[in-house]
Amino acid sequence: MAKRARREEGLDIELAELPAELRWREWMGRVEAVIFASPEPVGREVLASVVGRECNLDLIIDDIRDELRGRPYELIAVAGGWQHRTKKGFAGAIRAATGLGAETKPLSQSDALILMCIAYFQPITRGELSQVFGKEVSRDVIGHLRSLGFIAAGPRSPQPGAPYTYVTTKGFLSHFGFDTLRDLPDMEALEDAGLLSKDRLLAGDIPILVSDLSGDDGEAEDVGLDFSE
Amino acid sequence: MIPAVVQPRAPDRPPPIVPGWAVPRGPVTSDAEAAFLAGSALNSLDNLVRSDPPWAGAWRQRLALKCSAAAVSVVGRTEDEAALRDAWHLRQPADDPGPAGNILAAWKRLASRSPGVDLDTLRSTAGLLGLRWDDELAPLVDRVSDLARTGAPAPFAAAAIADDVQALRPDAELLGWWLADQVLALRLRWPLPAPILVAQARSIAFRTESGRGRVRPGGEGFQRAVCVALTQAAAEACRLAGDLAGRAARLDAVAPKLRAKGAGEAIRLLLDEDAVPGTLQTTRLSRWGARRLFERLEALGAVRELSGRPSFRLYGL
Repeated sequence: MAKRARREEGLDIELAELPAELRWREWMGRVEAVIFASPEPVGREVLASVVGRECNLDLIIDDIRDELRGRPYELIAVAGGWQHRTKKGFAGAIRAATGLGAETKPLSQSDALILMCIAYFQPITRGELSQVFGKEVSRDVIGHLRSLGFIAAGPRSPQPGAPYTYVTTKGFLSHFGFDTLRDLPDMEALEDAGLLSKDRLLAGDIPILVSDLSGDDGEAEDVGLDFSE
Repeated sequence: MIPAVVQPRAPDRPPPIVPGWAVPRGPVTSDAEAAFLAGSALNSLDNLVRSDPPWAGAWRQRLALKCSAAAVSVVGRTEDEAALRDAWHLRQPADDPGPAGNILAAWKRLASRSPGVDLDTLRSTAGLLGLRWDDELAPLVDRVSDLARTGAPAPFAAAAIADDVQALRPDAELLGWWLADQVLALRLRWPLPAPILVAQARSIAFRTESGRGRVRPGGEGFQRAVCVALTQAAAEACRLAGDLAGRAARLDAVAPKLRAKGAGEAIRLLLDEDAVPGTLQTTRLSRWGARRLFERLEALGAVRELSGRPSFRLYGL
């Protein structure tokens, strides 16, 4: 793979013999190629290893983005790296062409709700989640979220049975296009309202409108978060 | 048989405290007064750090815990010290301790590595603090070493780096405090930094004179506020040291009574760490042995159970 190839000894990264403009084009090409060839977002340090020392990666990325304007895909900063993504507008075309329909939709509304709860209140155990939702959150749901790579096991909770808590992963950030957890919708507003407290949540101190939860307009939409993409 | 314990030493003098006249009683209104207070308080703290007591590890780690508890509240989370301690000790080594646990990891790292920042450290610390990495943060590495070299007095150097971070990235307040502790340690030539500053970030030291709002990095009177904060932080750190010194002396006194194999290692850990899980396992000490050892130490009044739970117990000085 390209990723491995660039590890070869003697890759000339400084390109001192090229004129400045050609050198810049070559660096742009390399950066884009590395990002293109990688299945997951590529971090800054990886990219820095294929360009010269005094090369400003942010400018390179900006230039690549400029070139991609008008193309159906773009370069997006996710999970502390960059990745090529097709633009949202083409989702319909891709779905029609590949036949990937509703069955590949990774998250149901309730899964999304649980994932959102983990994201905001991590680390949290399955038992605590069940308590929040007022019904058993099954192991299957947790397993499903884990298999999608959105959550991972965190520290164990000091309760009988030492259940694992769950925390969100980089994959979660990457999938939903967040850079850090601080980018979660309305994080600041929730903090200021003092609603990001697990103790308060479990004590039932946070009023949740039950009618909101039962209908199609779930909590996920209330905070402007669409997990069911 | 000689029990495996710490070598007997000459009885220590009690650790230095910040004298009462150096702790501000009310609002400090002049810059000179603030600088004077900070100087005298830092002198006490410096004496304490240089005396390098055997319980210095526990002292630093507990300061780190206090700092992270303050830090998580700065970013709006609600975990307290106990929750942070749990997150740290109950995780598997490779697991992510969660956002608050990562903040604790950042301060624990500050307390356990010699002062100085390179690019990798800065980047991974920013990650632990939940900040987006950006190349505009990279010049901070040079800025820290510049501040360490120049002649600016330690409190002003610490204020300057917090200032710079705020100017670069207003969302990176925690990184500013983290670096300020680094700069302080570099300026005072400490072998290991003592995490103290962020614990004061929400304290009275940063209240504006009118009593409303807070003095922000870069704002008017920030240097003075940092001086007052350092005074209070040093006073608290010395008070904690006095507390720990008493407990460590007690542990030292009962150590000869312990006959468990591997007791020496457990005692070493108690002196080096904020807390030790009751299920500690070493090559010479089994889980059950550890449990009996800690229960005996607790009965002898040499350690405390810190979590207050009957299970998943955590012991510490």
